Amino acid sequence: MNPTLRRTFLSAALILISLVLLWTNSPSRAQSDLSPVLIAGSVFDNLDQPVSGAQVILSGKDPDSIISEVLTESSGNFLLDVPENIPDNLNLHIERAHFETLEVPLTPADIQELKKGDSITTPDLVINRRITISFWIATLIFVGVLVLIATGKLHNTLAALVGASLIYFVSYIGYPINENLYIFNFHQSLFYVDWNVIFLIMGMMIIIAVVENTGIFQWLAFTAYRISGGKMILLLPILMLITGIASAFLDNVTTMLLMTPISVQIALSLGLSPLVLLIPEVMASNVIGISTLIGTPTNILIGSYAHLSFNDFLVNLTPGVIMAFIGLALYSYLTYRKQLSGSQDTSALLLERLGQQASITEPIHLKKAGVIGFFMLLLFMFGERIHLIPAVTALLGATALMVWIRPNIEEMIEAVDWTTLVFFISLFIVVGAIQEVGLISFIAEEIGIMVGDNLLLAVLVVIWFSAILSTVIANIPFTAAMLPVIGYLTITIPGAQSMVLFYCLSVGSAMGGNGSLIGASANMVTSGIAERAGYPITYVYFFKKGFPALLITVTLATIWLLIRFL
Amino acid sequence: MSGIVCAIRGGPASQPTIHKAIKLAEETEQKIYFLYVVNLDFLERTTSSRTHTISRELRQMGNFILLTAQDQANSRGMSADGVIREGNIGEEIIRFCREIQADYIVLGRPKGEHEHNEFTRDRLNLFVQLIEDSSGAKAILVEEEEK
Repeated sequence: MNPTLRRTFLSAALILISLVLLWTNSPSRAQSDLSPVLIAGSVFDNLDQPVSGAQVILSGKDPDSIISEVLTESSGNFLLDVPENIPDNLNLHIERAHFETLEVPLTPADIQELKKGDSITTPDLVINRRITISFWIATLIFVGVLVLIATGKLHNTLAALVGASLIYFVSYIGYPINENLYIFNFHQSLFYVDWNVIFLIMGMMIIIAVVENTGIFQWLAFTAYRISGGKMILLLPILMLITGIASAFLDNVTTMLLMTPISVQIALSLGLSPLVLLIPEVMASNVIGISTLIGTPTNILIGSYAHLSFNDFLVNLTPGVIMAFIGLALYSYLTYRKQLSGSQDTSALLLERLGQQASITEPIHLKKAGVIGFFMLLLFMFGERIHLIPAVTALLGATALMVWIRPNIEEMIEAVDWTTLVFFISLFIVVGAIQEVGLISFIAEEIGIMVGDNLLLAVLVVIWFSAILSTVIANIPFTAAMLPVIGYLTITIPGAQSMVLFYCLSVGSAMGGNGSLIGASANMVTSGIAERAGYPITYVYFFKKGFPALLITVTLATIWLLIRFL
Repeated sequence: MSGIVCAIRGGPASQPTIHKAIKLAEETEQKIYFLYVVNLDFLERTTSSRTHTISRELRQMGNFILLTAQDQANSRGMSADGVIREGNIGEEIIRFCREIQADYIVLGRPKGEHEHNEFTRDRLNLFVQLIEDSSGAKAILVEEEEK
């Protein structure tokens, strides 16, 4: 478009927008001209966190004589219109569910200012949390969801969905019976759903659906065997590295779904127990997965909440991940050195079959996915300069790839793992409920008291507490619940504004997954496939191999974070 | 059609079952059908629903495991086929025995089993009885003591 035409177009657009705004806002504008007097202020909770959605009411001597009212914004700020006829007594009344009501009389000096036609700003208003029965119900539901997931009594998604439904049930059916049963309504609950996370995961699922059908994993694994020349001392770290790098760009479950069967076949061809390859591979997946924003669902959650970019993870975590990986590779070799150096009964027939199977089945799709993936990587790395969020990059990439390769669109829609997306949405609602009723604030306050102003102590507590807890509870709900806690500690602890505690949460929740079989979904998938090949992985076996790996990798990552941030 | 069905899933625990089937084939001069059933129940524990992809990968792995068993039978001069099925393990074994009108079905009870299915101790005998009743094949159970 030439400059003159562009200027004309912009001018016309601005005039049109101005006319529309003038028309739509004319009544309030007129009113504003008549009463430009305002009362401004902010509402905070007892942890100095802004309180959104609190109702601020300005009334006269009679509390029922409402003069003006407004809801606080997400920043906790409010702006109240004050009419022309101002009575001699004015009171601010602040109320919100799960908080004690606050009454603040305006001082005579403030009222005089208002009468003179000047606006005033109130001191920060602090409202205290109120623990009601809804606090205990929401807590019970959250713990119930964690237990259902940990014990496998219900599918993860169903467990989270049951939790979200119970919260709605209590809020809507319980409220008419006892108003203290109210947790939040449907509209308020959607405020807690992080749509950046949902759309980023959805976009990546479409990309993965194309890549996983190209045969790239089978080809890579067999190539690893060929490069190693059958030398186990080389094969093991190469397979671990391939798995880890794949996990940094795809989710760990998908990576292990694709790597486990081919690793079993390689091990059988070489006369090895597949567990010798599988256990180090899944541990590498859990460790290296966190080096990028898109590598694990927990990183996606952390990145979206704390506004950490793709580059932030690369710069602040990758060196620590490399250190942890080196430690893990050495540990794996020492653990399995007897099996790796023992005499192997290599089968020429099986290796020949393996070579035949390990080929790229969709070379054109792989090439196109590679090109799109490259541009996506550029956008992930440099997109923040134009405020391009990762969710949009993922959607752009997924759409471009589908337009380019023209797959069966129904197959692509089926490839999106809707159960995972429903799991995340339901989980956000359940975690939102415990945030709404004040459980998260309570935990944050207690941890805040425990660590005080000591950043070193906070780093150690967050990283090791997350790691140990992630061995027994699912790390995604744990991370989602911990985010507001870490957010609070980041604001209150001197020096934590570097976001170091979010990286600690990332390291702890992901590497903690190596501590037990149920610590990560990728472990369960690997175990399921290994069992189907006749090599069951017991809980005890995984703990014996995994827990020392947890101690080594988390220690090395902790050392890196201390060097980087303290 | 008749023959010996040998249900396997690989690993050291399947070896006695494979040996028993080969020995039986030598005695009866019947063909062996090594059967591998792809079962995706373990995906229920995760949020993944990519059954199509994992089914394909497990079929490939199953073919590989069958090849190792066929190789053992062939090296002893016995004729052996590999068959892949997908679904419930018990149902698929019975269905296949009926399809080929099998004379024998050789089963093992893998050590270290920790999934609740037809091969767990409390259900194995009932399952063996069910196979014999519904398919007419004689079931041979390779117990742990024999391994």
